[in-house]
Amino acid sequence: MINKIKKIFKDFGLSEIRAGMKITGKQLTNDKITVQFPEERTPISPRFRGLLALRRYPNGEERCIACKLCEAVCPANAITIESEMRDDGTRRATKYDIDLFKCIFCGFCEESCPVDAIVGTHIFDYAFETREGSIIDKEGLLEVGDKHEKAISKARQADSKYR
Amino acid sequence: MVDIEIEIDGKVVHGYSGETVISIADREGIDIPRFCYHKKLSVAANCRMCLVDIEGNPNPQPACSTQSSFGMKVHTKNEKAKTAQKAVMEFLLINHPLDCPICDQGGECELQDVAMEFGSDISRFTEGKRIVDDKEIGALIQTDMTRCIHCTRCVRFGAEVAGIVEMGATGRSEDLKIEPFLSEGIQSELSGNMIDVCPVGALTSKPFRYGVRSWQMNSIQTIARHDLVGSNIFTQTHESKVKRVVARDNENINETWISDRDRFSYQGLNSDNRILIPKIKIKGEWQDTSWDDALDFAANGIKKHAKEGSQIGTLASKNATLEELYLLQKFTRGLGSDNLDYRLDAANPSNAKVLESNISLTELETIDHALIVNSYLRLEQPMINHRIRKATLNGASVSTINAKAFDFNYRISHSVLTSPQNTVATLSGVLKALLDKNSQTLPDYLNSVSVHQTHIDIANALLNAEHPVVVLGEHVNGNKCSDQVATLVSEIAKASEAKTLNASLTGNAHSAERVNFKPENGKNALQILSSDFTAFVLFDVYPTFDCIDSENAIEHLSHDDAFVVAMNSFDDESVLNCANVILPIASFYETSGTHINVDNIAQSYSASVKSAGESKPGWKVIKVLADLLNLQGFDFTDSSQIADKALSLTPNTSEIEVPISNSKMPNITTVWQYTPYASDVVVRHASSLQQTRIGQISEASVCKATAKLLELSEGDLYKGVPVNINESVAEGCVFVHTHLPRQC
Repeated sequence: MINKIKKIFKDFGLSEIRAGMKITGKQLTNDKITVQFPEERTPISPRFRGLLALRRYPNGEERCIACKLCEAVCPANAITIESEMRDDGTRRATKYDIDLFKCIFCGFCEESCPVDAIVGTHIFDYAFETREGSIIDKEGLLEVGDKHEKAISKARQADSKYR
Repeated sequence: MVDIEIEIDGKVVHGYSGETVISIADREGIDIPRFCYHKKLSVAANCRMCLVDIEGNPNPQPACSTQSSFGMKVHTKNEKAKTAQKAVMEFLLINHPLDCPICDQGGECELQDVAMEFGSDISRFTEGKRIVDDKEIGALIQTDMTRCIHCTRCVRFGAEVAGIVEMGATGRSEDLKIEPFLSEGIQSELSGNMIDVCPVGALTSKPFRYGVRSWQMNSIQTIARHDLVGSNIFTQTHESKVKRVVARDNENINETWISDRDRFSYQGLNSDNRILIPKIKIKGEWQDTSWDDALDFAANGIKKHAKEGSQIGTLASKNATLEELYLLQKFTRGLGSDNLDYRLDAANPSNAKVLESNISLTELETIDHALIVNSYLRLEQPMINHRIRKATLNGASVSTINAKAFDFNYRISHSVLTSPQNTVATLSGVLKALLDKNSQTLPDYLNSVSVHQTHIDIANALLNAEHPVVVLGEHVNGNKCSDQVATLVSEIAKASEAKTLNASLTGNAHSAERVNFKPENGKNALQILSSDFTAFVLFDVYPTFDCIDSENAIEHLSHDDAFVVAMNSFDDESVLNCANVILPIASFYETSGTHINVDNIAQSYSASVKSAGESKPGWKVIKVLADLLNLQGFDFTDSSQIADKALSLTPNTSEIEVPISNSKMPNITTVWQYTPYASDVVVRHASSLQQTRIGQISEASVCKATAKLLELSEGDLYKGVPVNINESVAEGCVFVHTHLPRQC
């Protein structure tokens, strides 16, 4: 009997609506957490593994020496490398293709690279318009690397004490 | 045999007294790290990696130089041994660069493996590393001397196996360098083995440089087909291309070595000069076509031009497989012809008995005298020469009867220079001396023979030896009296109780003999090539190089009425000129097959890679052609069925007596020998081998007196080859050693 009376008071006193409005009222003044992508972006860990890139040394020489360790370690067989001796006697890749459909962004290639040539960038929003576009070649990878070198080296710097 | 018992790591093992600890451990499968020790080389004990703890010794001892004795207790894995091994590893890595990712040896490097197991995780060494200049040592071996750990395996290989001391250690301590003594680079015909023995990346294969990594390749067991040894090899392939060839152990055939020809010839396969598509000639114009059309064209042409089977002549390369030779002789004989031959380079392809080889390769090491007749064995058959060299190291002596004093890698005790036209007389002299010593009655033909002191010396050497051998080499093929020479050699062997080795049957000639790929009543190679037959079948024949009288051969092959079916693996101008249809066939390593070697061992192998372009294995092409011509008995589905059938054949042994007579020979003759890197079509296309010193040889040696007769002077061209006047050549002959096509 008493419970019934309590319920009538609760229902007619709009207590649940008031509780809800209280939260609404609180959130009205709080900072918003929805990110307006692509104008806004969430912060990314320095260890984030996005689109792959090939880096160069500061003097412009490409880092990759075609040791093929990344090709060997790649669990998805996404990397294809061909190598030969360049005229100056150094070992260089003549072909470095990554199939982005196959790539699973595990980052093993980066781990295995003895010269920090192949790296994961912070780029995760990219698209291609043709099927063949999924294969990114050496020039493409170097271009990504050149474009984002600042961000790449900053991320390596940030993570260096844990490596 | 087993006479001592020792204990290694608590395991009781058996050995022979005086045997080293490491060889017992190897036999028992106990792993001891090592760099300088190699089972086929002498013990140097300079890397110190194999230090083990031997109870009773205060210091660790090297297992490679410590002889085992009864009751010895060895620990390879206890604290003391491990500490010693780790310390040695640290010392070795002081100067060794740590850039394994760019080193070609990476992934198959002994130093890398041992460092992973015995090395330390971190380096305590912060000082500068030593850098050593690289030496250019030829087209086959790439040096990276900074990586050298001074194990001296290459130095010992040169001194002990190749017989030419080319690499050496100069300087001391920090300045110690392994380098060639001469700036001309490495010249040995076995030099490629240095790559195999080098435990690090200091010596690597130059044609293979920076191409593929060791883990990317498949290793396929196969047989090298260039010589009559049939060395066991691995072809290492990547993406259907042979990328490298390395030796495979077979104690009875090639031990652990292979010749450079076997190692680097694979380059020829990837040459641009391969025939990839069937071609037919219509109204003098070559057209690419499909296999069906080309085979129909070939079959119809044979039907039309050879209405009588006897109008067909078939010639095959001596490097063809047993299967191909068997099917081809069956094909030719099925069409009703007995005109077939493989002896394209023979001046006298007679039906006389072929000199048999009755000594095995391993037995060659135990001989105490060898008489080498008509052969530059070192370049012709490097692996056979190596066995004879091993015998000479044990005290055997060697004498030669050759047209030129060749550069052997052992001492020659008696050498007779004799021109081809005098070879019969010289051999008769030796035989007469032998029979005189044995007080045997002389056959009539020896009565008028004069015996010189050198003949007596050779006869004495043969008679004094317990296990002599007589080796007959390739030069005899170009001799018009080759049958007489072979007969005399076998008589000499009989009189001196010597074994014989016939090194004139090169390539896969033993297979050709097994399937009787030569005429019984029909025409032989010389007669076929000067006949007016209306149809010819050529199997991997390149007339300019292979035929002894190439001009005449090409002329007869290209006459208007002749229909020529050529099955070739490489493009060749002379074939294009004379053939009517070219069927592309698979080359070495692209087809399954069988090789019969000098010991009569038949070794079958499977294809290592797919045949190039649209080419097909030769045996399949012959089989389909036979089917199209409605020949019976070609229902094979696999090359092993053909091999079984072919191996069940017994060769016809002819009993024709060869009379020894003073046949008329020209006053001046030519001995034409190809360099080993021009001996067959594949190796001729191997670019790196062609750049070596041996590959570049091209000189016509002639002595002063003969030069005067021929009106030649130094630098003139004799049959297209520059003349070199020196006195190491027999009078009355010109010795041409070249990679250029033969001119008659």
